[in-house]
Amino acid sequence: MEIKEINKESLFLKSIPYFEKYGILIVLIIMIVGLHFLQPEVFLSWRNITNIFKQVSWQSMLALGVFIVIVTAGIDLSVGSIMMLSLMVLAITAKSGAEWYIVVLIPLILGMLCGMFNGLGIVFLRMPHPFIMTLGTLYIFRGAGNLISGGSPISGFTDEVRFIGNGRIDLTWLGLDETQYLPVSVILIASVFFSMWLFLNHSRTGKWIYAIGGNPNAARAAGINVDKILVIVYSLCGLLSGFGALILAGRADSGYPNAGLNAELDAIAACIIGGASFFGGRGTVLGVFAGVMIMGILRNGLNLMDVSAFWQQVFIGAIIVIAVYIDVLRKDLGTRK
Amino acid sequence: MNIIKKLGVFFTSLFLMLSISVASSFAEKTILFSIKGPGSGNPFWASVEKGAAEEAKKLGVKLIMIAPPQEGDVQAQVNQLEDQIAKGVDAIALAPSDPNALAPIVDDAIKNGIPVVFVDTKGSNEGVTFIGTNNENGAELAAKFICEKTPKGSDVAILTGIESQSTALLRRDGAAKGLKGCGLNIVATQTAEWDTAKARSVTEAILAKNPNIKAIFGSNDNMALGAIQALKDAGMKDITVVGFDATPDAANSILAGEMTATVAQFSYNMGAYGVKYALELANGKKIDPNIDTGTQLVTKENAKDFK
Repeated sequence: MEIKEINKESLFLKSIPYFEKYGILIVLIIMIVGLHFLQPEVFLSWRNITNIFKQVSWQSMLALGVFIVIVTAGIDLSVGSIMMLSLMVLAITAKSGAEWYIVVLIPLILGMLCGMFNGLGIVFLRMPHPFIMTLGTLYIFRGAGNLISGGSPISGFTDEVRFIGNGRIDLTWLGLDETQYLPVSVILIASVFFSMWLFLNHSRTGKWIYAIGGNPNAARAAGINVDKILVIVYSLCGLLSGFGALILAGRADSGYPNAGLNAELDAIAACIIGGASFFGGRGTVLGVFAGVMIMGILRNGLNLMDVSAFWQQVFIGAIIVIAVYIDVLRKDLGTRK
Repeated sequence: MNIIKKLGVFFTSLFLMLSISVASSFAEKTILFSIKGPGSGNPFWASVEKGAAEEAKKLGVKLIMIAPPQEGDVQAQVNQLEDQIAKGVDAIALAPSDPNALAPIVDDAIKNGIPVVFVDTKGSNEGVTFIGTNNENGAELAAKFICEKTPKGSDVAILTGIESQSTALLRRDGAAKGLKGCGLNIVATQTAEWDTAKARSVTEAILAKNPNIKAIFGSNDNMALGAIQALKDAGMKDITVVGFDATPDAANSILAGEMTATVAQFSYNMGAYGVKYALELANGKKIDPNIDTGTQLVTKENAKDFK
């Protein structure tokens, strides 16, 4: 009898690390099952699933960028503006008749430079917190984007430029319908997230990034060049925002001045829902993906059910608070005994 | 396992709440009406919503009215449309937040056999019917009224909307044409993004620089009301302020002797015509490429009708 109970308990204890690691995925699965029962004909249809991926495509890039910054206990508020500026420059370059590969590379390079500007500013201007530097560049980059475009939209890109955001991979050879295509953005999301997972978990720099977030002074004492790593992290975040711009260019076929407005908040929310900690050193790429998908699926599901956009704001906010509360409970669970 | 229980309770209650708002659909035609912003944020959209709802009831169609949480949230509007198209609708009436950004989704809908009409703001897609105000003529109407009220050569200013939208550009151009045409001196043309608070700050800046201003044209009433706040603050009286849209707030302001005039768009008509013509397309009928919903000047004499 007693032995049985001990076994039961140890099984429970053994499951804790898995729960800690994959808890957010369980939430995601519960949501998917729930929405499937509420919208049985639509929610899991091919079209709707590809819609969800297309809708989260550019946001997922921003969220991943903000995530690596959050791991270092920093924050990047300028991702939406970096994306908008990159998108505007992309649009202007495209209109000037440049070759498509130049147009495609421009937002990536510019995004990275903007991120580097953030990183260098934080390190060399000795900003008291990255919040301040990136709050400044949130305005600077958006203003610059409006200045160069005159605040009006620039539209009409070639198919090559739109490929990443709008391209379709035909699956008719698998015996599927013509409408059952695979959006190119899905492949991009998968490969970017996978590369980032490899980078953070299996490269020396990646491990240093976690170390800096965990304890910057210890990292410094251990001989890690913290400043250099920070500049790399913010540049990467900028690069990912540039990817976001490239996807959005394909999706909207237009560089428009409101692009990415308030997108930084969505990105931060996705990281927090996915289990990243503002104090740094914690969080996984898989968690960010789950966070992005939870927000995307929630919005999609509420749209399908014709729920007013105001309610959507309330639900997203509630999910953030609840997700973090679950996190708090999870930690209690791990330390109680 | 406490957490799983808590989670379960939360999500069950969440979905129960949501399922209440799920309307059932039958064989009747479904018209999707996508507007730029919530009716509760702007009486103009409230009036479009009302027109659409009443027309839908009259014609016996199912109406799905959707709006992004705030005006100008282009991606939210795109996502809402995509989701609804995936669900399946018979026709779409759309007021695009950004014509270019929404063009791909409109093409996609048409390709999938869902007819589209533009309401209020003309989209960039070719061959799609536009139902709305002739904004340039409306703004010119306002400008001519300003000309009658102010001496030749006076300083005037124009507040414009979000300049990525054709409505904003047409109103700006119409007003500029009318004001210049009668010999007024436009000292400032600045955007306040359709917003009252922004219009107030923009006007404050304009007044600081141009104290001799005699008239202000606000490309919508919200902005005209913001301008009036700034004028009051600066202690400037007898300035002609003309808005656009004829919202109830503007009508009250005109009756109180603050705003001078506004231009009425028949926003109710936009809602009603949007549903009516979208349904005609869904039934396979042909409609005109441009359907004017009309404009008229609203002054102290007729402002009562717009309260």
